[in-house]
Amino acid sequence: MSPIDRRMFYHVNWRLVGVLAALFAIGVLNLYSASGVRLGDGLQVENFYQKQLVWGAIGVAGMAAFMAFDYRRLHAVAWPLYCVTLVFLLAVPIMGKTVMGARRWLDFGVFSFQPSELAKFTVLLLGARLLSVSSERLTLKELGTVLGLGLLPTLLIIKQPDLGTGMLVFLLLGGLILYRGIVPWLFRTLCVLLPVVTPLFWFVLKDYQKRRILAFLDPATDPLGSGYHILQSEIAVGSGRIFGKGFLAGTQSQLRFLPEKHTDFAVAVFGEEWGFVGMIVILSLFCAYLYQIAAVARDAKDPYGSYLAAGVFFYFFWQILINMGMVMGLMPVVGVPLPFVSYGGSATLVNFCLVGLVLNVSMRRYLFKQT
Amino acid sequence: MKNLLSASSQNMPRFGPALLQFLVLGLFLLFAVRLWYLQIHLGPVFTEKSRNNQLRIEYLFAPRGFLRDRNGELLAVNEPAFALGLVREDCDDIPATLAEVAKLSGIPVERLKEVYARNKPKVKSFEPLVLVPDMNFETIAKVEGAVVRWPGLEILSRTRRKYNYGHLLSHVLGYVSEASEAEMQADPTLSLGDFMGKQGLENRLDARLRGTKGKRLIEVDVTGRRLSEEQQGAPKAGEEIFLSLDLSLQQLGHKLLDGKSGAVVVMDPDTGEIHALVSEPSYDSNMFTNGLSSAQWAELRDDPLHPLQNRATQSVYPPGSVFKLVMAAAALHYGAIDPKETVTCTGELALGNHVFRCWKHTGHGVVNLQRALVESCDVYFYKLGMRLGVDRMSEFAKAAGFGSPTGIDLPHEKGGLIASREWKLKRFGVRWTKGEDLNMAIGQGYTVTSPLQVARFVAALINGGKLLKPTLIRGEPTDIEGRLPLTDDQAAIIKRAMVSTVEDPHGTAHRVLTPGVVVGAKTGSAQVVHLTEELRRMGDNVPLKYRDHAWMAAFGEQGGKRYVIVALVEHGLHGASGAGPVVKAMLDALFMGKRELPPKDLEGAERPVDVPARLDTVEPQFPEPPTADIPQGAPAQ
Repeated sequence: MSPIDRRMFYHVNWRLVGVLAALFAIGVLNLYSASGVRLGDGLQVENFYQKQLVWGAIGVAGMAAFMAFDYRRLHAVAWPLYCVTLVFLLAVPIMGKTVMGARRWLDFGVFSFQPSELAKFTVLLLGARLLSVSSERLTLKELGTVLGLGLLPTLLIIKQPDLGTGMLVFLLLGGLILYRGIVPWLFRTLCVLLPVVTPLFWFVLKDYQKRRILAFLDPATDPLGSGYHILQSEIAVGSGRIFGKGFLAGTQSQLRFLPEKHTDFAVAVFGEEWGFVGMIVILSLFCAYLYQIAAVARDAKDPYGSYLAAGVFFYFFWQILINMGMVMGLMPVVGVPLPFVSYGGSATLVNFCLVGLVLNVSMRRYLFKQT
Repeated sequence: MKNLLSASSQNMPRFGPALLQFLVLGLFLLFAVRLWYLQIHLGPVFTEKSRNNQLRIEYLFAPRGFLRDRNGELLAVNEPAFALGLVREDCDDIPATLAEVAKLSGIPVERLKEVYARNKPKVKSFEPLVLVPDMNFETIAKVEGAVVRWPGLEILSRTRRKYNYGHLLSHVLGYVSEASEAEMQADPTLSLGDFMGKQGLENRLDARLRGTKGKRLIEVDVTGRRLSEEQQGAPKAGEEIFLSLDLSLQQLGHKLLDGKSGAVVVMDPDTGEIHALVSEPSYDSNMFTNGLSSAQWAELRDDPLHPLQNRATQSVYPPGSVFKLVMAAAALHYGAIDPKETVTCTGELALGNHVFRCWKHTGHGVVNLQRALVESCDVYFYKLGMRLGVDRMSEFAKAAGFGSPTGIDLPHEKGGLIASREWKLKRFGVRWTKGEDLNMAIGQGYTVTSPLQVARFVAALINGGKLLKPTLIRGEPTDIEGRLPLTDDQAAIIKRAMVSTVEDPHGTAHRVLTPGVVVGAKTGSAQVVHLTEELRRMGDNVPLKYRDHAWMAAFGEQGGKRYVIVALVEHGLHGASGAGPVVKAMLDALFMGKRELPPKDLEGAERPVDVPARLDTVEPQFPEPPTADIPQGAPAQ
């Protein structure tokens, strides 16, 4: 079987592609506005939206690449990739590049990349492989094994420090565990234990991370720091009211009251300029997007494919929940971008590749019937 | 393949797919509700907050209205003033820059640091923080060379009130200075650095002079930088006001009283307009707009001559014989005497075991009302006082406008005092005595009046009985506060007596006789202390502080013009010789055209180099006027 079968083209999940295209288009349009800064009378637009378009094109290529091979081959890659990822992650503190106070990048001269991006794939592939072997609910021993393997890269990432990505990687794995299910007594125990244990992580957190959480709980404690971020974001979204202030007319963003407006808070710009109506549209698109991925997971022909799609589902689900929750003042400020809406080169590439993986699973679901 | 497939199918997740769909639904519901809450329920609140972020309101300075005299001479104007400011954003080395400013301006660097620290929180980093509020020309010249080398330093031009005749009009115009913290709180239209009238007409007419600030809506970004501006209402300059004062008369009065303490009031009896209101010694209003140092303020406040005191309205003196006009009118009003009735003055009058003397110890012989006024016979008025009694004297004096402020548009006016039985009992716990009736009738005793009150009474005598509210503004309608309880015939008797006082060679005010002008007058000398025999024997050579205050209340008529002139010279000894020359010079100026305009003062005068302490730290409090000792049982001229 050649890697690209002509028939498969007809089996591509065009609904998922369509929703993705709509989200990406809205994202770029919004980035155009979010890159704008009014200094005098005119609007000065920075070129983030152009860069995002370029990254989108690269992403589509990556997506195609991730569709080209049979996803079941990844089964064998999981362990070797896990080992490579750990090596890279261990290398970061030793020979990594420091950017803005955090050591996240490995520089290979020609290109540099963040091993934490690789870790997303690694955890996805390994989690899918380990969990798809059975449909029985997880026992304590199995759960311990999976969590232990997942915690290793997670802690290395958090140490960089990159709380957002570390958390995301761990939550992805957590999502997959829930997808499989846990034996009832263990589930109940965890439900009781987690709220007790989680606060202990407080002592692991850096000062600025603690401040963000405190500011979230009581914005008045830090009105000019992250409390300010949340407040300005809520003002931006809230002042959009029903129909918004209009494209390029958001005062919170154009006059820079809204911080990080082209990255983490990009959707607040959208909320300000397009209002409740626009936000419901974008929220519906995200839900349709997630629903399509969930459908792929449900209809996959084999458990491995189902778990791969479910892992991607959680990868996006958590980002949407955390980012939009933060923008609307429901979550503390954590550096998690909103897929396709926040500006970010490697994140965009990774997002497209992961969609490619889901499309890969989706278009091969009829494979065995026809052979 | 088949094996793999069947094995795989058995291992398909059982709960997962349902969980995913549930999560999608939950996500949608959670955010949809939250968005409804933020954008629809709280939408108006956040819209307001977003506007507050974006828009600032700036008020545009409205130039303060000019003040002119009745002939249009400019009295108070605005002039440019130059301040030195520091834009923090542009300054690389603030301590070094402050040290340089200290060197250029001569202000101690500690003082500059203090000013810097105090204003830093109030001024944005890209706006100038004023270090030296007012620079003299020498400093400006030095600073102009330095601003190029010191980034961040900026010369700012502002406007400042300037009084062209600071010394001549200080008591009338008062002054402006920067609004204090408390004043800004009381009046929301005032903001930091605004000037407001603190004394005199500047204070009373503040609302008219200040104008209306313009409003500008400014769009700012997060750093506070201006992006766009929208004018909402242009600034409206304050009203230009023509005062009723005549600058040449002010100048004349200032000259006449030079080196003395006293007051002159010139009033139009028909309109109530004040043409001159002079009080000496005076101060320079400009001192206050430039900001007054604590030392300068202390010097003014503690000056034994009380230059801050407006002697025409804020000082009250025993009226002495000038009060005989009031008593004569009272006697006519109550029918207590017949004008033709005569009294024989032997130079003294005994009451009980006390002898009341006439100023003319040899006596005036037989006098009727007119003669008694012309020669100011004390004995006649002692008898008149006995007949009237305190109750009627007090009642009439109050009806004639004494004992209460005239209502002129100047702050802190004093009303003087007209005693009564009740007042004395309350004040001293002692009953009124018969002898005090006698003293009251000659304007001694407890009675104190301001020069302005006397002017208003004389005006009422010749204008048909109207007690006018004196006004300092030209051409505005006159308020009639009351009427003198006197018929025209009765007023004419007193007026005739006043004219005789001038025209009769024996009249006490003969020296103010002015050819071609009908002049009437009454002199007075008010005792400051009860003279001991020893001092009395020294006659005119008693030390200055024991000398009587000299009064003259006069009017002049020529053609359609008539004016009331009241002069008071502290320790001027005799009404005729002390206050007479002042009245005479005024009459000449008013009717004979002998007047000249003064040179503007302050021209090229040195301004303080020193940064003055802010005025709100030394808010002037006017001292109590010097309360004249209340002399009793002594004759008056």
